[in-house]
Amino acid sequence: MKNTGRLLAQLAIVAAMFLFWEMAVRTGMANARIVPPPSEVLPRAIMMLGDPVVLHNLWITSAQVMLAFVLVAPIGVAIGLLLGESDYFGRAFKPFFYFVASVPKSVFLPVFILAFGIGFTQKVAFGMFQAIFVLVISAIAAAESVSPDYLKMARAYGASRRQLYVEIYLPAMLPVIVEGLRLGMIFNITGVLFAEMYVSRAGLGHLVSTWGMSFQMVNLFAGILLAASLSIAVNELLRWYENRVGAWRG
Amino acid sequence: MAGLSVVEAEKTAESTGAGLWVENVTHVFETGGESLMALHSVSLEVEAETFYGIVGPSGCGKSSLLLMMAGLLQPSEGRIAIGDETVSKPLPEEIGVVFQESSLLPWKTARENVEFPLYLRGVDRRVRERAALEMLELVGLGEFANRRPHELSGGMKQRVAIARGFCQNPDILLMDEPFAALDEQTRMTLGDELLHLWDRNKKTVVFVTHSLTEAVYLCDKVAVMSARPGEILEIVDIDLPRPRTYEMMATEKFGKLRARIWELIRRTQQK
Repeated sequence: MKNTGRLLAQLAIVAAMFLFWEMAVRTGMANARIVPPPSEVLPRAIMMLGDPVVLHNLWITSAQVMLAFVLVAPIGVAIGLLLGESDYFGRAFKPFFYFVASVPKSVFLPVFILAFGIGFTQKVAFGMFQAIFVLVISAIAAAESVSPDYLKMARAYGASRRQLYVEIYLPAMLPVIVEGLRLGMIFNITGVLFAEMYVSRAGLGHLVSTWGMSFQMVNLFAGILLAASLSIAVNELLRWYENRVGAWRG
Repeated sequence: MAGLSVVEAEKTAESTGAGLWVENVTHVFETGGESLMALHSVSLEVEAETFYGIVGPSGCGKSSLLLMMAGLLQPSEGRIAIGDETVSKPLPEEIGVVFQESSLLPWKTARENVEFPLYLRGVDRRVRERAALEMLELVGLGEFANRRPHELSGGMKQRVAIARGFCQNPDILLMDEPFAALDEQTRMTLGDELLHLWDRNKKTVVFVTHSLTEAVYLCDKVAVMSARPGEILEIVDIDLPRPRTYEMMATEKFGKLRARIWELIRRTQQK
């Protein structure tokens, strides 16, 4: 009951935003040549989902995002856990990750073009590069969040090494790691789209960029809407899982 | 309180329990090339079924001593034994430990926390669930069995931690400042409950505490330790009758025992 009410309120806010957008264009508050009204953008976005060209590009972007994520997630988490658990490696390499994490990764894009070209591989590599720092840092936090009190208690009750990993480390770290995966995914999508918009022959980012430069405003806004909806869907899916494994955090 | 539990019933049919012997235990920490002596030649004879207190100034190594009794830390010299058996690793069937409430696993319910030691040993699910529920009933938390720690108050969490220590039914129960995180009123109540539990379910208890009142109120004997390196200054016999009642705290004898312990600690702190 409480949840239904909240959901209705949230839907009402979204509807109100679209209504405001429509009114702003109709009354001339917004320039209709630059901002087309949602009554044109929404049908176009839905039409695009049946357009083979758009679908092909959407598929390429999704494939790049998924491949980058599948490759970078285990690497980032493994590095983070190593640095969080090992005093020696932690002291040597943690500062490096903290420093580089604060550098805007976009300035490295030209380097990626020189190294990997402008195709599929470069997009995957750049998505991974964008995501790896937040993954490492959150995995470090996950490893450090395991309370020594839990370990001492479990050992006193005779836990084996395997039981320590399965019963203590894993459940204690899982919510923080999933949170890191979610943030890494956002960075990953940003990286892939950005690389596609910069130089590319395919992908959603490439389409959006082309539509913008050729002044196809309805297409451009519909493309933005698609990109936004997809990112939100992925993010919410991961957040749902995060809340499920971390319900105990209260 | 609830009726006789499975655990208790088993217990009464069994042996009389075990004592714990600490013989000339010295502990030296190695930190960055420097060695620091935490304990020096400590000897204790904790007889079976006694409630044994250890008090001393902060950093006197009383918690290290308890970790060694639990088999989690090796003495540099000397030996700790139950009967004839040297304690060189955790012996969960013989030695239980009650830690502070912060050691409860937050992703498990109260019941799952209490049965955790049995779960680790691979005890059948129905048996350990029943044992855990009876233990929770006994500490007055029967209705809270399915709550997670973040839904419980500090006192309730500590009761869960105590229930966990008793649930595996060890002969010896080590308690490492179990009430340190609680307010005074809650500590007093829990102290009474602990005595009650111990009365029905006699075990050898080693109780490390900061609180002198708590030590005198609960224990049969109190070992007073010196500042680092920790040594045993004196073992004070608490010859107050049992069951203990809160009225005893106002008696002259209680005051004298407490003052004696304080005198010993005060002197070692001034050194």
